[in-house]
Amino acid sequence: MYSSKVQKILKIKKIRVGDRIKLVKNKKSFEGILMPRIELGNQDCIVIKLDNGYNIGIEFEKGVNVKKIKTEWKISVGKGKKMDKIIFDKKLPFVSILGTGGTIASKIDYRTGGVYASFSAKDLTTQIPELKEIANVKTREVMNVMSEDIIPENWGEIARAVAKEINSGVKGVIVTHGTDTLHYTAAALSFMLRDLPVPVALVGSQRSSDRGSSDTVMNIACAANFVTNSDVAEVCTIMHGSMSDDYCLVVRGTKVRKMHTSRRDAFRSVNESPIAKIHWDKKKIEILNKNYRKRKDGKVKVDDKIDTKVVMIKCFPGLDPDIFDYYLKKGYRGFVVEGTGLGHTPTLGKFSFLPKIEKIVKKEIPVVMTSQCIYGRVHPTVYHNLRELSKRGVIFGEDMLPETAYVKLMWVLGHTKKIDKIREMMLTNYAGEINKRIESNEFLI
Amino acid sequence: MDYKKLDLKCGLEIHQQLNTKSKLFCDCSTETKQKNPLELIRRKQHPVASELGEVDVAAQYEFLRDRKFNYQVFTGEDCLVETDSEPIHPLNQEALEVVLQIALMFNCTIPEEIHIMRKTVIDGSNTSAFQRTMVVGLDGFLEYKGKKIGIFHVSLEEDASAIIGEENGNVTYKLNRLGIPLVEIGTDVIEGFTPEEVQDIAYIIGMICRSTGRVKRGIGTIRQDLNISIKGGQRVEIKGVQELGLLSKIIELEVNRQLSSPKVEKEVRAANEDGTTRFTRPMPGAARMYPETDVPPLKISENLIKKIKNNLPEPLNKKIIRFKEELKLSEELSKQIVRSDYPDLFERFSKKFNIQPSIIANIFVNTLKDLKKRENLSVEDLTDEDFEKVLTMLEKGKIVKESVPDVLTFRLKNPSVKMEEIIEKMGLKTLSEEELINVVRDTIKENKDKPLNKIIGIVMGKVRGKIDSQTVVKTVKKEFEKIY
Repeated sequence: MYSSKVQKILKIKKIRVGDRIKLVKNKKSFEGILMPRIELGNQDCIVIKLDNGYNIGIEFEKGVNVKKIKTEWKISVGKGKKMDKIIFDKKLPFVSILGTGGTIASKIDYRTGGVYASFSAKDLTTQIPELKEIANVKTREVMNVMSEDIIPENWGEIARAVAKEINSGVKGVIVTHGTDTLHYTAAALSFMLRDLPVPVALVGSQRSSDRGSSDTVMNIACAANFVTNSDVAEVCTIMHGSMSDDYCLVVRGTKVRKMHTSRRDAFRSVNESPIAKIHWDKKKIEILNKNYRKRKDGKVKVDDKIDTKVVMIKCFPGLDPDIFDYYLKKGYRGFVVEGTGLGHTPTLGKFSFLPKIEKIVKKEIPVVMTSQCIYGRVHPTVYHNLRELSKRGVIFGEDMLPETAYVKLMWVLGHTKKIDKIREMMLTNYAGEINKRIESNEFLI
Repeated sequence: MDYKKLDLKCGLEIHQQLNTKSKLFCDCSTETKQKNPLELIRRKQHPVASELGEVDVAAQYEFLRDRKFNYQVFTGEDCLVETDSEPIHPLNQEALEVVLQIALMFNCTIPEEIHIMRKTVIDGSNTSAFQRTMVVGLDGFLEYKGKKIGIFHVSLEEDASAIIGEENGNVTYKLNRLGIPLVEIGTDVIEGFTPEEVQDIAYIIGMICRSTGRVKRGIGTIRQDLNISIKGGQRVEIKGVQELGLLSKIIELEVNRQLSSPKVEKEVRAANEDGTTRFTRPMPGAARMYPETDVPPLKISENLIKKIKNNLPEPLNKKIIRFKEELKLSEELSKQIVRSDYPDLFERFSKKFNIQPSIIANIFVNTLKDLKKRENLSVEDLTDEDFEKVLTMLEKGKIVKESVPDVLTFRLKNPSVKMEEIIEKMGLKTLSEEELINVVRDTIKENKDKPLNKIIGIVMGKVRGKIDSQTVVKTVKKEFEKIY
């Protein structure tokens, strides 16, 4: 937005964004099309697009003369379709693509640089033409939320939308999602979608789909291939497996973590092998881990009851244990601790977690221990301090990722508040979140 | 040919790499020295649904469908930014200042806020599928033969990857050139000049860039695009002329081509090495540019401009006069050294070494030209340090000026040999005067009855490059007279 000073003069001169204007400053004149003011930079600077396509900014101050020459472009904010359906070939099965705010097909307004998501199946196939050889496509925008703004309440909404598609008889579902919290949503759907008969793939892109180098195209194409042709009925993420556009990895929704801020191959499988590798060019699905549930007939049930009053606390040297009191006062009913190493917390003097944990457990509030090492399993009895924690009733979460344990605890608390039942459920494997055997080649993969 | 009658109109676009410490949007080195790639990344690119309509996207798709791009990644010269795996870092301030300097030397107006733009490219030369570019100066001019030549814009942009091979739609690029800062200078239409004069204008533009002392030199560091039209014809764009000396020939040949073709299409052609051109693609329609949103626009303060204005390099015509007066160069040699790639190095060495400046200037101007022309050596590979070492040896009398071309040739042919070892390897040890006297005496003994000039010739053959020729002549004469 332009500053009020600039807006005022534009209003007086009846100049709108998209008009060709002439600006005279210090006897130099500039001619071009008035652009919308981008968020960053000096809001007093008038941005014009020169005839060679370049934008420049001229600071508006006293003595600057602006004049409208003519209306050149009528610029309106672009809007995409919210749902659509396209049949390429009656013999092909249907898959559904649901949008949550991660863009599948994006349109860019080259004049302003504005990008907006489009759910038109036509736009989608313009961008990913090979879709028409794989399946017929139904598209729908469920919500439009940036990944970092997703809240636990959204998970149920997505789960219900996915179930509706599955129960309408599609061969598989693709959910597009921003990448930052993709793995939290993946874990939530893993617990909420019971008796899943078909695959559900969560797909994001690390390079936005308005650019020609975007990873969206391969990710969606591989996901479409996988949900149509594989016999895997799991909630999983499907993203690049390497820096190249060669294959995608299928990773279980409860075992996946975003391990890099910007690389295409950021989503890695932790403590188990990825389920499969999808070779883009050859359209080949290579199963890497046979531990998966198979495709079957029947309907999916949604079990989306959660209690969102759960908090994750990362343990670090010098942390004041009073932080637990803060959350207790706020009415939190579940704690996941990201402990150090095998699942430690400080146990000495004023930094000791022990009195707090004792107090919490006495209230029948669960404390689940995971490790900030990310890889590996926590252990309740190896060291003295672990035994102290274990003795006080801490639930040691096996090889569960802290994020997965956090989502699972919400889901468990949605079903019971009884501490023994909570413990039992937390240690029951519902969606592949606990792996009893970790092999030597399942590290840093 | 009467180019005025033909109404020859040309536009020049000159791209010159900057010699900054790091690349335009990351901290990688701008040197492209590594030989063996660290890894190979394989990518595809996709058409993007644009406002320009289905046809455009379909054309893009058709073009990209069977194309795979391989990128060789080099240690120290590429990072996640070049591989399109990390957002760009803030703009390189050093590069911005060099280009501001160039824009001010062309009398340009500088916008108060510079906006980085993305220009869509689909040939795979940019891993992001667009090139980042920004206008830094507008509406400038330079004077040539009493006339003003308009400078339409001076821009700063990132260089693209260098193509090294293509086979069945598999295109391989070296990624290390991507992101090297480039200055682009676009002229207004140049009319009323001959092809030679247009070439001369391009030369002067290059010289002004070089006068900053902060542009790269050597093959591939400068590239020129040309727009050519004649009366009644269409504008044809010729891209990628690397050899400046070819410009006038290209213009002449293109004018001939246009005169002999029944219908000239509006198109883009690429320059061949012999000055002819080949068709590449139709001219792109509307400019495909949209704003870069990963980093904010840059405010250019008045203070920065003031600071740069106060430190502009010396104008070239003044430099020619100063070299003539201060360093006692002839008018011709002074012009030549200022027009060369080495005026600053020449000046620095002339002050540092106790060697006649004209000898140093001759090395930079004539010796290098000879080595390039006759021996076809890439003299651009010689570093400042190489020259410094040669001049040190010359000053200390370890070599004579006649052997400078041989030393430089040896250096280029044997890059692994240390400069200090070259003298020994080449057998260039200088002779003392006593040693020379012995050689002269022996020669006279062996060649009794031969006249003086024959003796001089034989001695010269024996000691060439080991002692300067004047001393040889003097010594032979003296010894000759003693005997006869």
